[in-house]
Amino acid sequence: MSYFLPHLPSGWHVDEAIKSEEDRVVVIRFGHDWDPQCMTMDETLYGISEKVQNFAVVYLVDITDVPDFNKMYELYDPCTVMFFYRNKHIMIDLGTGNNNKINWAMDNKQELIDIIETVYRGASKGRGLVVSPKDYSTRYRY
Amino acid sequence: MSKDPKNKLAFLSMPAPASYVAGLGRGASGFTTRSDIGPAREGPSEEVIAEARAKRGEEEQPDPEQFQDPDNEYGLFAGMTYEADDEEADRIYEQVDEAMDSRRKIRREAREQDELNKHRAERPKIQQQFADLKRGLSSVTDEEWESIPEVGNLTRRKKRRGENDRTYVVPDSVIVGDRSKGEFESALDAGQQANGGFETPATDGSGTLTNFVEIGQARDKLLSIKLDQLSSSTASSSGLSTSIDPKGYLTSLSSIQIKSDAEIGDIKRARMLFDSLVKSNPKHAPGWIAAACLEEHAGRMVAARKIIKMGCEQCPKSEDVWLEAARLHNNDDAKVILANAVQHVGQSVKIWLAAADLEHDVKAKKRVLRKALEHIPTSVRLWKETVNLESSAPDARILLARAVEVIPASVELWLALARLETPDKAKSVLNKARKSVPTSHEIWIAAGRLLEQEATREDTGKTEDKRAKELEAVDKTIEAGVKELRRHQVLLTRDQWLKEAERCESEGSPRTCEAIVKATVGMELEEDEDRYDTWVSDAQSALGRGHIGTARAILAYALKFFPERRDLWRLAADLEKTHGTPSSLDALLSRAVEHVPNAEVLWLMRAKERWMQGDVAGAREVLVKAFDTNPESEQIWLAAVKLEAENGELGVARELLGRARSVADTERIWMKSAVFERQQSQYTSALQTLSTAIQKFPKFPKLYMIQGQIYAQHLKNVPAARTAFANGIKACPKEPTLWILASRLEEHDGKSIKARALLEKARLAVPKDERLWAESARVEERSSGAGSAQAKSMLARALQECPTSGLLWSMSIWAEPRPTRKSRSVDALKKSSDDPLIVCTVARLFWQERKIEKAREWFRRAVKADKDLGDVWGWWLKFEKQHGTEEYQEIVKRECESAEPRHGEVWQSVNKDDRNVGKRVREVLELVCEALA
Repeated sequence: MSYFLPHLPSGWHVDEAIKSEEDRVVVIRFGHDWDPQCMTMDETLYGISEKVQNFAVVYLVDITDVPDFNKMYELYDPCTVMFFYRNKHIMIDLGTGNNNKINWAMDNKQELIDIIETVYRGASKGRGLVVSPKDYSTRYRY
Repeated sequence: MSKDPKNKLAFLSMPAPASYVAGLGRGASGFTTRSDIGPAREGPSEEVIAEARAKRGEEEQPDPEQFQDPDNEYGLFAGMTYEADDEEADRIYEQVDEAMDSRRKIRREAREQDELNKHRAERPKIQQQFADLKRGLSSVTDEEWESIPEVGNLTRRKKRRGENDRTYVVPDSVIVGDRSKGEFESALDAGQQANGGFETPATDGSGTLTNFVEIGQARDKLLSIKLDQLSSSTASSSGLSTSIDPKGYLTSLSSIQIKSDAEIGDIKRARMLFDSLVKSNPKHAPGWIAAACLEEHAGRMVAARKIIKMGCEQCPKSEDVWLEAARLHNNDDAKVILANAVQHVGQSVKIWLAAADLEHDVKAKKRVLRKALEHIPTSVRLWKETVNLESSAPDARILLARAVEVIPASVELWLALARLETPDKAKSVLNKARKSVPTSHEIWIAAGRLLEQEATREDTGKTEDKRAKELEAVDKTIEAGVKELRRHQVLLTRDQWLKEAERCESEGSPRTCEAIVKATVGMELEEDEDRYDTWVSDAQSALGRGHIGTARAILAYALKFFPERRDLWRLAADLEKTHGTPSSLDALLSRAVEHVPNAEVLWLMRAKERWMQGDVAGAREVLVKAFDTNPESEQIWLAAVKLEAENGELGVARELLGRARSVADTERIWMKSAVFERQQSQYTSALQTLSTAIQKFPKFPKLYMIQGQIYAQHLKNVPAARTAFANGIKACPKEPTLWILASRLEEHDGKSIKARALLEKARLAVPKDERLWAESARVEERSSGAGSAQAKSMLARALQECPTSGLLWSMSIWAEPRPTRKSRSVDALKKSSDDPLIVCTVARLFWQERKIEKAREWFRRAVKADKDLGDVWGWWLKFEKQHGTEEYQEIVKRECESAEPRHGEVWQSVNKDDRNVGKRVREVLELVCEALA
């Protein structure tokens, strides 16, 4: 399903994508299209991208083609999803200990929508850290 | 970030710029979650940036501090090598230092030790102070060391002591409450049992009962007392309590004095004071009166009467005491008291008058007064009272005759007698009076008035000559009077005389007034200039007080002295115009032009007056005479032309203009000729005239305007008009009207852009001109509709340039949407300090809201602020046509006619239109009213 979502081919494009949105959350999935985890995630993302298009936009980035952010954003997991709002990285407390990103593949569309909506509501109020509606500490363990 | 939503995502299809450093462009910063899996780095790394720089071809800038010695950064020889000779030099220096140090070393050290010891002795070290104790520590055992108590925390704040351990006595109520806390009351108490349950105890007849019946009765009683007071105070007149005046009831209630404690205390003290006063000084009448008054004030009439009675006994010679006594008693007693008083103080007029006042019957009054006159025959007051009581004239005359015999010096009595006598006898009476009182000016004036009355009486059938002669006598009398008075050292000032004159006028003797003015207005004034100014100001002040006759007389007298002063003539003419008849005005003006033949204004005024009376031939005659004396006056020429033109004598008018051009060669005459030609639709000749005129007077803007208008409106020759205006603008760049006309021409031609440019230039040439700004805003409005953004911004700029302009403010008010207009208008009123245009606009706002009365009031205010503004009149008439009655419309028209407005944008354009030549103000007003939108 990654085929239907827009890809960002370079670091510049990533930056532009983040800067271009004035009032929508920019959701970026870092990973590889061929990765099974990413495939799951992309499936979910594609499923919701239409539904959240009023307040969020989804992009995919291949971390092999675009290695620029690997160090900066610690992109060492097979699948990472990060949120930006008006050129600001929005952190989210998922209960996993890593508030910077979602680094597992989600398969529940409603949960993802809820997360993005929470991010949008918090960020538009000026928050830098929002609390996820659901605790994922049991779901994902390090 | 691109703002355009269409292009927002355009970057997706764009190639990335070469050697872009990811994250740098947006200032991204990284994070470290787990140091075991990644470096703690923020943003793009140094190496990445350097690499990108190299790729981009930027040279790395060399660091200037790169080769700096880290140990010795700034030494002079920091970069040199340390050689053998350097080492030797250092050694020699050290030896020198050592040698210097060893000199007198022992003594120096000894001295230093000394100083140190001394210092220590003065301020020993703490260690030394406790040295002996410290030594004793060696004997302390381990147990003793252990049992040394710990030092407590001395820094801790002192705890508030006893907050918790302070005890209080428990109040009884708590104990009792606590005792009955758990109890239940299961039995009714005695009261409840007696009254059958839980009724309120108020009905059981105890002392706390509120008896409403009694309260009501008390109130009734109070009211009845008040009513009694009222009825007793009015009882003397009617004796009925129903005669209470319902309106005066409340006010009289509030005037009833209720004495407070303080007042009563005051009264007590005052009573004591007065008591001691009358005791210590019983012959002092005011003391008695005051004491009586105090008692009266305190409401104790009996005591007051008693005191005043004693006062009368003690001071029988004081009339005041007697009068006070009479006042305090009722009518009959007062009579007795005054009868007593007369025996003691028979010469007191006051007491006699009071006694007369006490009598209700006229006969009795007369009797009292006669008696009084027997006692005091020289009292003018008594005589007057007596005469006033007489109802028949002969009796009064006899009384007065007797009175003047007894008191020959009383002017009043003489005058009264003269008034009662027949005219012939009055004369002799006045003569007698004059002899007995030679110092009275009233008698002289009365004589003058008598003469005037005689002269102007209708029924005698005198001829005019005789009447005039008799009136001359008035002058003579007053003149003789003034002389006579001066002989007797009676010197009234001019102002006093003028006041007398004014009084004469208001009492209906204009001739006497005139005579007084003639005889006296020249007094006290020596210098010519002084005289002139004083007379003018006198006349104006008399006019201001509404004494037209006096003013006229003063001016007439002044004109006799200064026949060559044209402003004086003008003043007199204005007076006649407003207050006199047309014939008197004409007579005055004819005299005026005889004396001051050069005064064009007077000539024009005379001609206009004649013309207004419908006497065209007379007007013409006047103008002919005026030409004889003032051949060069353009005003007279133009007046003549106007007269002829409006009376249909076009040929004559044209001829006149031709002659005027040759005789009085002024720009206005040339302009009027052109206008005249244009009005007759002789456009070619008008243009010819104009071109000649422009050669003669190239700086006169109106010529260009007329030229341009003829081309544009009548000949439809836009290019020619454009050149005319362009020439005009070149010749007179400071004339806003020319600029506006030029811009309108362009706009009319469908070239709004050009009009705009022209106006912009105009604004540069004539800065801060409200008309130019208004025109610019209007151009915007016309081209893009009212209230458009351009028009609004133009108006805003205009208001910045001319913040006090009423015209611009009113435009900006109308440009607002309706709800905000009101607040805008308040701003405007404040900023433009009640400009009549703004006031008119406010009136129109009220009109829109159907607040008719308010709108009318504001229109009136606007008109009052500036009568010359025709547009306001137009708006008002329009308003009245919609909401007012016929009468209101008529009032507006009439007032407008008298104001003769000449300005206002619409008014001027309508008034100067060729089609409306020769229309009256009233017609123009109607046209303006229609033209206003």
